[in-house]
Amino acid sequence: MANSTLKPLGAALLLAALAWPVSSPAQTRTPGTGPAPATAPAALPRTAEGKPDLSGIWQVLGEAEYDLEPHAGRRDAPPGPGVIDTGTIPYRPEALAQRLRNFEARGKDDPRLKCFVLGVPRGVYYQAPFQIFQRPVDLTLVHQFGNQVRTIHTDGLLHPEEQHQELWLGDSRGHWEGDTLVVDVTDFNEETWLDRAGNYHSEELHVTERWKLIDANTIDYSATLEDPKVYTRPWTISVLLHRRRDKGFQLIEDYCYTLDYAPFYPHKEGK
Amino acid sequence: MKRFLLGTALCLAPLAANAQTAPQPAPSPANAASRWEKTVPVIAASAWTGPRLPDGQPDVSGFWSNTISNHSNFTDPQAGPPGEPSAAAKLPRDQRAPSRVSDPADGQIPYLPAARALQEDFAKNFPNPVKPRYIEPLARCAPAGVPKSFMWHGYEVRQYPGYVVFLFDSGTRVIKLDGSPHLPPQIKLWNGDSRGHWEGNTLVVDVTNNNGKALFGRNGDFMSENATVAERFVFDAAGQRFNYIATFTDPTVYSRPWTAMIPARRFTASDTPDGWHFDVKPVNQPRKPMRYEHAERICAENNGPFGGGAVGVPSEEAVISR
Repeated sequence: MANSTLKPLGAALLLAALAWPVSSPAQTRTPGTGPAPATAPAALPRTAEGKPDLSGIWQVLGEAEYDLEPHAGRRDAPPGPGVIDTGTIPYRPEALAQRLRNFEARGKDDPRLKCFVLGVPRGVYYQAPFQIFQRPVDLTLVHQFGNQVRTIHTDGLLHPEEQHQELWLGDSRGHWEGDTLVVDVTDFNEETWLDRAGNYHSEELHVTERWKLIDANTIDYSATLEDPKVYTRPWTISVLLHRRRDKGFQLIEDYCYTLDYAPFYPHKEGK
Repeated sequence: MKRFLLGTALCLAPLAANAQTAPQPAPSPANAASRWEKTVPVIAASAWTGPRLPDGQPDVSGFWSNTISNHSNFTDPQAGPPGEPSAAAKLPRDQRAPSRVSDPADGQIPYLPAARALQEDFAKNFPNPVKPRYIEPLARCAPAGVPKSFMWHGYEVRQYPGYVVFLFDSGTRVIKLDGSPHLPPQIKLWNGDSRGHWEGNTLVVDVTNNNGKALFGRNGDFMSENATVAERFVFDAAGQRFNYIATFTDPTVYSRPWTAMIPARRFTASDTPDGWHFDVKPVNQPRKPMRYEHAERICAENNGPFGGGAVGVPSEEAVISR
């Protein structure tokens, strides 16, 4: 470029001044194709089959896992605006009472404190990275925290014939609707919570997740929860997931449920 | 709350004489035979002539399990754990599968004297564990680690550009193939930190950052956090077998490097799921040939006595405050 000898800031200002009202370079290069967007979107990463490629290490940025509902800052949670379409969770009256009991006991009853699997969808918006490995037939989600490993099957098969297995992570069957991966998750147990504030579900939980890459480094994630035993109507959590791009970043196993007994090995007296 | 569901978990009997032997579903006859093979096949390192994935890796994805018994006994695999000899233990030694120690030739791990004493002390106390240190960590749902994961339940291999991933019954191993540096040495892990590459039919993996806590089995064989492990997974031409060959180097525990060999075979839809080697669920695919998929693996969440409560380990207390 002719102005390449300018300092970068000066060059940017000069280009900005020149760019309006004259044509953008893209329009100049390809006349007749209509106006180009101000910033061309980077192409989404795609698999050989043409599906969006969700492979990579992802992590939420936000306060959702402290409390899905809007909340001011408190001793054990930073403030958060809430991530629910209905503002608050539409609990049935008796379920709301249980949720309040959970909240009061959260300092000891949250399954997270024992490093149990966080479940679906909590593991997705927990503040730790997870890695997606993608093949045409499935996605494997390896979470750094604890021992949570989930397969989302995308080979067109149905949920298992065997019902009421009461799985910790449910059974995940996904399909692509355009560029959105839609996952139907069923057959849960009632052991997991939804956040640190005692929000919860029963074994009748049914989750519909939507995973959509909105640029190469961001997934727009939502989970719609139905549970007629606990909620009066379906409601939806929405968060953005960000690619961990720190140089050389990798998962570091975090089998924290071993911490109590790890000091006894190998062949030691312990603490 | 239904805290102790009995699912696919490792569910153990209450403390009793030799309580650390987990009750296991009886493998189907065909699979049982494969678990009691008496010999280890020879598989030479060579070029790979089988199918490849689009990224060029040999395609070894699928279900696998060991062929010469579980982790009860590392050096006499079919003789049973300490205090509970198997029926085969009465037979002459050459009628059971060989030691998993392929070098030295005597089949014994070349421990330094102090390390040998620790291993023998564990084996002696295993049948009646009066201290926490004598509980086999796998019975508490610890990751089985290196190399015990290859002697425990069957497992699934999934491959991706730049990765080989092992989904074990107890723990998950992500092997990076990108040549990137290992984690800093201060970080010690149950599964260590793995970097691998393919040489023909052989997956070569360098394992560092080991915490040494998983032990190799019920005799208390072990490495320390100073160990490095050089693994070679040598696959046969038909893609139906592999030998896991691992050289352990740890000057604080062993008098010299030594090598283990653990044979494995592939499990496919022609095998019968048995809850152990081939621990899978049928897919829901009406009118199509039967096939199987990986089932949810949960352990600490479901485990009873040894997950907590036994010999001073609490089961209902918080383990983290983060």
